[in-house]
Amino acid sequence: MKLKKLAVLALLTAASLILFVIELNFPTLAPVPGIKLGLANIITVYAVYSFTAGETAMVLAVRILLGALIAGEPFTLIFSFSGGLLCLAGMLLLRKVIDKKHIWVCSVLGAVLHNVGQLTAAFFVMNTSAVLAYAPFLLAAGCLAGALTGFAAQFVISRLKGRIDI
Amino acid sequence: MVCKKVFGMLTAAAVLFCSCTLGESSKKSGQLFAMDTYMTFTAWGENAQAGIDAASGRIVSLEKLLSVTDSGSEVFRADHSGGKAVDVSPETAWLASFAVGMNTITEGALDITLYPVLSEWGFTAEEYKVPDADRLSELLRNTGAQKISVSGNKLTVPEGMMIDFGAVAKGYAARLAAEDMKAAGVEAAVLDLGGNVQTVGRKPDGSDWKIGIRDPAGEGIIGTLSVGECAVVTSGGYERCFTSGGKTYHHILDPATGCPAESGLVSVTVIGEKGEYCDALSTALFVLGADKARELWKKLGDFEYAALTDKNELILSKGISESFTPDESHSSLKVTVAE
Amino acid sequence: MIRSQKFWICVCAAVFALSLIWCAAVLLAPHGDSVRISQDGRVLYTLDLSKEKDRRIEVEYQGRKNIIEIKDGRIRMLEADCPDHVCIHTGWLSSDIPIVCLPNRLVIEFAGSDLDAAVG
Repeated sequence: MKLKKLAVLALLTAASLILFVIELNFPTLAPVPGIKLGLANIITVYAVYSFTAGETAMVLAVRILLGALIAGEPFTLIFSFSGGLLCLAGMLLLRKVIDKKHIWVCSVLGAVLHNVGQLTAAFFVMNTSAVLAYAPFLLAAGCLAGALTGFAAQFVISRLKGRIDI
Repeated sequence: MVCKKVFGMLTAAAVLFCSCTLGESSKKSGQLFAMDTYMTFTAWGENAQAGIDAASGRIVSLEKLLSVTDSGSEVFRADHSGGKAVDVSPETAWLASFAVGMNTITEGALDITLYPVLSEWGFTAEEYKVPDADRLSELLRNTGAQKISVSGNKLTVPEGMMIDFGAVAKGYAARLAAEDMKAAGVEAAVLDLGGNVQTVGRKPDGSDWKIGIRDPAGEGIIGTLSVGECAVVTSGGYERCFTSGGKTYHHILDPATGCPAESGLVSVTVIGEKGEYCDALSTALFVLGADKARELWKKLGDFEYAALTDKNELILSKGISESFTPDESHSSLKVTVAE
Repeated sequence: MIRSQKFWICVCAAVFALSLIWCAAVLLAPHGDSVRISQDGRVLYTLDLSKEKDRRIEVEYQGRKNIIEIKDGRIRMLEADCPDHVCIHTGWLSSDIPIVCLPNRLVIEFAGSDLDAAVG
């Protein structure tokens, strides 16, 4: 890989990690585990529309791993990975049909898939269907958070147009 | 075009959701505090409210007849008549006859003349004490349900004796209340007289009623009975007891000794057609213990029972064994079937 | 796959709207007094809140403690040995939304009033 690209990807990973850590310090938004803004996903969505699938996956995986280590919560890894994996797969498929003017749409659906992934993991970990009661709240919150981060990513892309050439 | 499809889906979802949450509208409930108990009546159908009102009215009027402490009640008058015959309502006379009959059938295990002994233990006023043995013998001389006489609508309680219908009143009230509900046109109802249950018909959707049996230790339900129209009554010493000198004394007395029955059973649930019958039997079987209970069940053949022993074993009579489901939280319960 | 942007926007709107309706359904669903406390999928207690006296229940998981409080016929997580305390912030159990302590695998939920009555 070209050195310049490696540097840019590392920068993006660092940026998303910073956003992740900042968000860790936000007060709990709702009495439902898993509801958060997901600011770090602004970077992920941006990457989906700017880099290859493999490169985006790397940025995401490293951020999840380091994020869990920094937060001191290895227990959350299973949820972050299942959510992140499903979200990434979905967005990579959708970027073929959703254009750059509607990135927020891709982000919303990605957020929804992320929460579906997390809920499924919680279902198997907790071994009870009680967690499914959270589903509607996670989906609704996911739509809102996804739209927010999606618009942010869209903003980043339009501003960075032509400024980062790799 | 696409948006129209989406809109259609949303409307369908909204309608579905509304019908689910508002579906149970034909069910009505009523609550009542009577006979020292919190009671709940639930009925379905257009006559539900009428049925509930009829049931409540019946319970209140029965209490006025049967209360042993209410100075205006027929039981009080009979107990304080100095041995003279007293005119009573048909219901009271019937119940007295029934109780005397049950005393014979249960070979003395059910006895409604123990009120003075119960008082001596302090169960009636909640001033508990362990009575002196001589005092108990003295009081026991004035017990014995066979000494009561019922003739037509005349009830005679010999001087020095007192009767109380505590062991049969709720079951009887439940049956009469259920009959009143039926008369009012109710086809599905469940009457919960604080642990004394009577059902009417089957549930509106045709399924069985699910009646839980509470854990005497207070930890939820030990299991569930699936039943049709019947009475389900439980008796257990744990319902009223006190501890003195390291020993626990409960309120279900053995008529032979005047002391709390020590039969190895913690609670007995009887399932049958008539409330007062199940009520009487639940007390009697508790006093008799597991083996004699099984013998009585085989002999009479017109009821089923579930007896919980002090060794955490649940004995189910054959007829009810298929209808009982242990609760997940009590998986350590040992269930045996009495044949 | 469908290339129309409008289609995908509609999908988003539909998902959002349906999730809101579902939220309302969960919040408004009637519940009885029957409560189930389970850990790691295993039911620990099934209680009838209307018959329970005020008390506290202590539960342990891998050395970490949770304290459940029952008061005035309501139930909640009083204390929890876990990082985020979401379970405590959930407050009193009042709808189909369960009280969940994810790290300690503890769940408190209404058990769908399937009992018509209880004896004893």
